[in-house]
Amino acid sequence: MAALPTQPAAAQESAPPSGAGGAPPPPRRGVLRALGRDPGAVLSAAYILLVVAMAVFAPLIVRMSGWGPYEFDQTAVNPDLGGVPFGGWGGAGGEHWFGVEPGSGRDIFARIVYGARVSMLIALAATALTTLLGVVFGLLAGFFGGKVDWVISRVMDFLMAFPALIFMIAILSALPAGNRAVLLVVVISLFGWPYLARIVRGQTMSLARREFVEAARASGAGRATIVFREILPNLRSTIIVMTTLAVPGYIGTEAGLSFLGVGVVPPTPSWGQMIASSVSWYSVVPTYFAIPGAFLFLLVLSFTVLGDRLRAVLDPQGVR
Amino acid sequence: MTAIGKTPPLLEVEELNVTFPTPQGAVDVVRDLGFTLEPGGSLGIVGESGSGKSMTSLAIMGLLPPRATMSGRVRLAGRELSGLTDRQLRRVRGDRIAMVFQDPLSSLNPYYTVGTQIEEAYRAHRQRVTRRQARRVAVEAMERVHIADAARRVDHYPHQFSGGMRQRVMIAMALCTEPDLLIADEPTTALDVTVQAQILRLLTEVRQETGAGLLLITHDLAVVSEMTEEVLVMRAGACVERASAERLFSDPRHPYTRALLDAVPRLDDEVGELRTVHGRGPSPAAGATEGDER
Amino acid sequence: MARFLIARLSGVVLILLLVCLFTFGVFFVLSPDPAVQICGKNCTPELIERIRTNLGLDEPLLAQFFSFLGGLFAGRTYGVGESATHCAAPCLGYSFQSSQPVWDMIMDRLPVTATLAVGAAVLWLLAGVAGGLLGALREGTWWDRGAMVVALSGISVPNYVFALVLQYVLVVELEWLPFPGTVTFAEDPGGWFQNYLMPWIVLAFAYASVYARLTRANVIDTLSENYVRTARAKGLPRHQVIRRHALRPALTPIATVFGMDFAGLLGGALITETVFGLNGVGKMTADSISRNDQPVIMGVTLLAAFFVVVGNVVIDLLYTALDPRVRVNSA
Repeated sequence: MAALPTQPAAAQESAPPSGAGGAPPPPRRGVLRALGRDPGAVLSAAYILLVVAMAVFAPLIVRMSGWGPYEFDQTAVNPDLGGVPFGGWGGAGGEHWFGVEPGSGRDIFARIVYGARVSMLIALAATALTTLLGVVFGLLAGFFGGKVDWVISRVMDFLMAFPALIFMIAILSALPAGNRAVLLVVVISLFGWPYLARIVRGQTMSLARREFVEAARASGAGRATIVFREILPNLRSTIIVMTTLAVPGYIGTEAGLSFLGVGVVPPTPSWGQMIASSVSWYSVVPTYFAIPGAFLFLLVLSFTVLGDRLRAVLDPQGVR
Repeated sequence: MTAIGKTPPLLEVEELNVTFPTPQGAVDVVRDLGFTLEPGGSLGIVGESGSGKSMTSLAIMGLLPPRATMSGRVRLAGRELSGLTDRQLRRVRGDRIAMVFQDPLSSLNPYYTVGTQIEEAYRAHRQRVTRRQARRVAVEAMERVHIADAARRVDHYPHQFSGGMRQRVMIAMALCTEPDLLIADEPTTALDVTVQAQILRLLTEVRQETGAGLLLITHDLAVVSEMTEEVLVMRAGACVERASAERLFSDPRHPYTRALLDAVPRLDDEVGELRTVHGRGPSPAAGATEGDER
Repeated sequence: MARFLIARLSGVVLILLLVCLFTFGVFFVLSPDPAVQICGKNCTPELIERIRTNLGLDEPLLAQFFSFLGGLFAGRTYGVGESATHCAAPCLGYSFQSSQPVWDMIMDRLPVTATLAVGAAVLWLLAGVAGGLLGALREGTWWDRGAMVVALSGISVPNYVFALVLQYVLVVELEWLPFPGTVTFAEDPGGWFQNYLMPWIVLAFAYASVYARLTRANVIDTLSENYVRTARAKGLPRHQVIRRHALRPALTPIATVFGMDFAGLLGGALITETVFGLNGVGKMTADSISRNDQPVIMGVTLLAAFFVVVGNVVIDLLYTALDPRVRVNSA
């Protein structure tokens, strides 16, 4: 949940699940069954799985469709019209399933498939790193309190006070190109973890005062045991929901940064960057813009819906 | 108001049923409940949490949660309430029947001064009242419930009062319209023991002054024995016994009532085990019934 | 109260100093030599050396940082002798590209960004709160579902995608609006409005969606509060129960979130201005990024941080004004 172009701060303000405060989370099978009854959740999960499959099997899929993501097909574009694809719908047909890029004639289908790879990889890696940082620092601050808490809280204040998007752009533009994907993950996570840590910290604090933790402490359990056996399992719902809701944010951030030209650099395909290069063509070849736009929108939507439904199932008290 | 010669009872409840839908099917939280209360009289409804006593009071006020359905008749001084629209009912609420709730902190809006909230109750039922008049009523009402320095305290917010003082504010709010019937739903449960007695004394006192009838809902038999003439014992949504307070305590007929009485700790009890009521019976899902439990 | 303010303001200064240090560090440590960049094509080693001396790049890093800070508060003089130029406080340095003072560049473009931000904020507050209220008061109906589906789309659609779709539909296909250009209010109020309409909608959509969801959730929560039941038990009419007892508490947290979002709007404005070619601070930043014009990027970052940090203080003050429980207890 880093600050990103399309996500106002309010999105982070919406109440976290209170799962850790009350009853133990429902058993996993019950959660899956409840989600299975919800058409919105099922459709979202299906679309996410589709995109993941696209990302994983990209080379195989591209071999089937016949064109790779970096191959130029000059026969598919009309040089007399400045490179507009032949045929309607951006040149879509049996040869190029989603048409071709105006100008270069690269296959859009192949670039979408490979773009899924980049988008998912960056978003998932950023989520993993953010979750790790958020949980560790949140637990440390909430469990130990005192000076540890003070230092971590001030660092979080500082990072959250930062104009994250502008700063991300600034850092990425200042740093040498290098491996942009890794840089993106690091930068997104750097500004993203305080939002999770803040909630983990609060819940840890209230859990640490609860009877069962007191009981464990009284029975001589070590700190590590208490944290891993008593507190962490109770944070499970919170972490699952926050993580699911963070993924769409990171997908959007990656796409936005790539759109602005500081994310993934061409020729590597990414959905955001495809949209960026379609801007100058959108009134002539609308499909060039519409296809990555639709894929991106649906992916963010699916994660948001799934996160919403998960929250509703894991935390029936706080349904919203 | 209606028949000449004989005044109708202040409150008549007949065949009251309240049902909640749950995933496991409909649950009856109040079943075939009926009772009457004479003008100026007092009735205590006693039962454990989940016995449907709070839902009974909300049903009388027409304040049940939207998903609950109710049937049966509620008459106030001979006037049928159960068929009224919400608009008509709102003229009765707060004017003829006023209510005091369990938790005075959450029952007062933290964003307004207590004065504003008392004034609201008054102005909702009196046309053409200036702010100044309403404010005077609020101060008077607060003085009546013995809040010291009422003229100044009227501008304070609920969080600036202690628990007992907040409940006094709630009572002042209920009294400012001179209602005929006061429903008090667990008025002392959220308070310290020492404050409980003061609030009960206050309720008795204002009742004597105004002549209002009292419907007292509580789980506490000791409270009922001091406060009301008659007692109705509820269990799992239905009435198990109804008697005068005196008789109920000297000669409980129903085994459940006896069990309840035995569970009350007495000072002369041997120190040691606390007796509890066993076999709660077919109590409907406890969590879904008590609207005031959070 | 005064003590609270002093504590809060010293925190602000500390955070801003940290932001300065961090930004400064990133730009002047990690990025390639600015002198080489300024120097351009016809560069000689002597020229680079002169630029270095003029900009103070030959000094130790900490000294550079302090002269930067000094420039911010007191102004600074670049170079020595005849070529010396004075940069008045608040000095953010000069653009590598145009050699203009960064502060002046920002101030020139701030009105466009402010127009965009204020218009969008008005729009999203109205639409968001209205949509959320509709959802909460008609919970479970088609009105509710419709509003929430729109809100869900608003949260999920990246604003540049939405901008292009909107522009394609309204400008290219339906021809209801002209292509965005630069029209000032004084020249042509109608044209000015048409010009800003799409950027306002685009910037507001995501925020409006979040606010609608937040408002809906808050109002539904508040309606189940005990004090709402008390208000009904008093016999207040429905509209009064909702307006005074449900809306006021439900909207108070939204007011504070609004302060934070508004202060952080520079980030959202960046993309919107770029897509619509509005010549505001955001577009200037995007242009500076593509040209690696670091003093400008740094100046904007500092300004944005300043807004966010000051915004937070304003929110704190606002909160004490709106929520009596936080107010200093004088009783």
